[in-house]
Amino acid sequence: MERLERLINLVAALLAAERPLSRDEIDRRVPGYSGDHASATSARRAFERDKEVLRDMGIPLLMEAIDPSNPDSPPGYRIPRDEYYLPDPDLTPDELAALHVAVTTVRLEGLGAAEAIWKLGGTKAPSAAPDPLAALPGSEHLPVLFQAVAERRVVVFSYRDGARCLEPHRLAFRNGHWYASGRDADKDEPRSFRVDRIASDVALGPPQAFERPVDAAAPPPPPWEMGDEEPIEARLLVEADQVPWVTGEVGEGANVERRPDGSAVVTLRVTNRGAFRSFALGLLDRGEVLGPPELRDEMVSWLRGLADEGAR
Amino acid sequence: MTGRKGADDRLRRILALVPWVAAHDGPTVDEVCARFGLTPDQLEQDLEQLFLCGLYPFTPDTLIEVDVADGRVWIRYADVFARPLRLTPAEGLALLASAEALLAGPDEDRDPVLERGLAKLAALLGIDPDETVDISLAPAPPESLVALRAAVADRRQVEIDYFSYGRNEWTTRIIDPLQVFNAAGRWYVAAYCHAVEDRRLFRLDRIGRTVVLETTFEPQREPVSHTTFDPRPHDPMVELELAPRARWVSEQYPNEGVEELPDGRTLVRLRISERGWLERLLLRLGPDVKVVSGDAEVGPAAAARLLRRYQTEPLP
Repeated sequence: MERLERLINLVAALLAAERPLSRDEIDRRVPGYSGDHASATSARRAFERDKEVLRDMGIPLLMEAIDPSNPDSPPGYRIPRDEYYLPDPDLTPDELAALHVAVTTVRLEGLGAAEAIWKLGGTKAPSAAPDPLAALPGSEHLPVLFQAVAERRVVVFSYRDGARCLEPHRLAFRNGHWYASGRDADKDEPRSFRVDRIASDVALGPPQAFERPVDAAAPPPPPWEMGDEEPIEARLLVEADQVPWVTGEVGEGANVERRPDGSAVVTLRVTNRGAFRSFALGLLDRGEVLGPPELRDEMVSWLRGLADEGAR
Repeated sequence: MTGRKGADDRLRRILALVPWVAAHDGPTVDEVCARFGLTPDQLEQDLEQLFLCGLYPFTPDTLIEVDVADGRVWIRYADVFARPLRLTPAEGLALLASAEALLAGPDEDRDPVLERGLAKLAALLGIDPDETVDISLAPAPPESLVALRAAVADRRQVEIDYFSYGRNEWTTRIIDPLQVFNAAGRWYVAAYCHAVEDRRLFRLDRIGRTVVLETTFEPQREPVSHTTFDPRPHDPMVELELAPRARWVSEQYPNEGVEELPDGRTLVRLRISERGWLERLLLRLGPDVKVVSGDAEVGPAAAARLLRRYQTEPLP
């Protein structure tokens, strides 16, 4: 019995069963777990492996008491049909084709778009394949965070300075990075976290655990506003040739004062001085922190520390 | 290991293919192959897997029936697989994010068909896409985007002023624009550059003046590479010792090797094609990085150069 056949039969048996099936029943109903060639231990190992394969695919394989009225009855396995079956989204062929074009022109790393199109019924590749337009980086944490946003589950993860507990309201892709934003449940304030800086698995709480506020749709703040520090108004001088790039980075609503020589002074609200420093240093000698004096002095001593390294 | 992964991919495909074929009255082999990205041989192998599949006690009436005749295929008695498996969160996000990104893209004419498809998909996933997933491909679409996309379509040469970030200088060049694309939140144009007589990628937010010329160019056959950073073997190597806080450097940039050091520090080897890139990295990391081998003067010299700006107090 080939492994693929065994897996198909296992899914069929568990989907068709009206109540959880015990291991013995599974052995009898699914060829390949018992018989002359399989020793008891290798059959058990095969079943454990198959279970993991199915769960990794997203199949809802549950372990429950066989007799629901008696929680102490021995456990069995089942796949609830209503959790397995994809409801029909009623997509027209041209809508499905448009989604297919979308996933071929905008690629997300490692997220299985091809399988998604298969499940929706598959669609013929467009005769003239469109040029790929965009590639978005992926992250192992994205699927679980998306599930948490969609099902309103609280998530817990470790991030830089410790464990965080977040009611995730939305996922955003900005400046090449994914952000999860919502309410920090410990601090009771809105927060955004860079998904690629999450340093642990993301643990999911139960579904429908919170209400998403109506104003959840605000975009994540720029890096220099992603911090707890005392807010300070930074003034950054930008030389003329860098102004287009900087105005793109700071966004349209930012305070940009243009000078007659084409240079500009950008005023930014900063609550993360390290991130602001990195932004300003990206300009190399085509930018300068004008003030306030406190921030300018910090930049000077940062640079002096580095310049002195060379003198030693 | 690859064999096992291959088998899992086949299982995913079979579980999607069976409900579709069963719901249609004998679709052609060609159509099934086109929809599910298969060759006829692969389809035949997948269908062979089904001959012994079904439900206990595997009598003829409980076995899935597969018929292939006259270039058409029928699957019957597969009621248990009446519907495909639900979308996983990863698959739902992949569809949603791609559609949102495309709708937020540079084309003025938003595709209403895609918008309708996105809305149905969002309803299926039980979310409001505007509220929950927000894709912005770039901070602000550069003004040159529309002009360059038109130039690609018309195969017109373009003269650009370009700021080389790595060398920290502006140059003027004539390019044959081949493709405009977005990678990791930045817009690029892949082009043949006449100044260096080779292909180059140019970031749109570093392009100043853009003049679309009257001259056209011949289409090029070789596919366009989207590799935005491609270290060359003759680029000089630096070895950097990173504090634990700066470990992301070894994960974010293509490198020539990473070694774990005591106390959570790491050693990373990077090929550096442009000095300005290394200057920014060293200035930003500050005390969290030490140059172990390579030009140790790059960081201090850059810091000294920047400090000269700060010698005179700014005008109010």
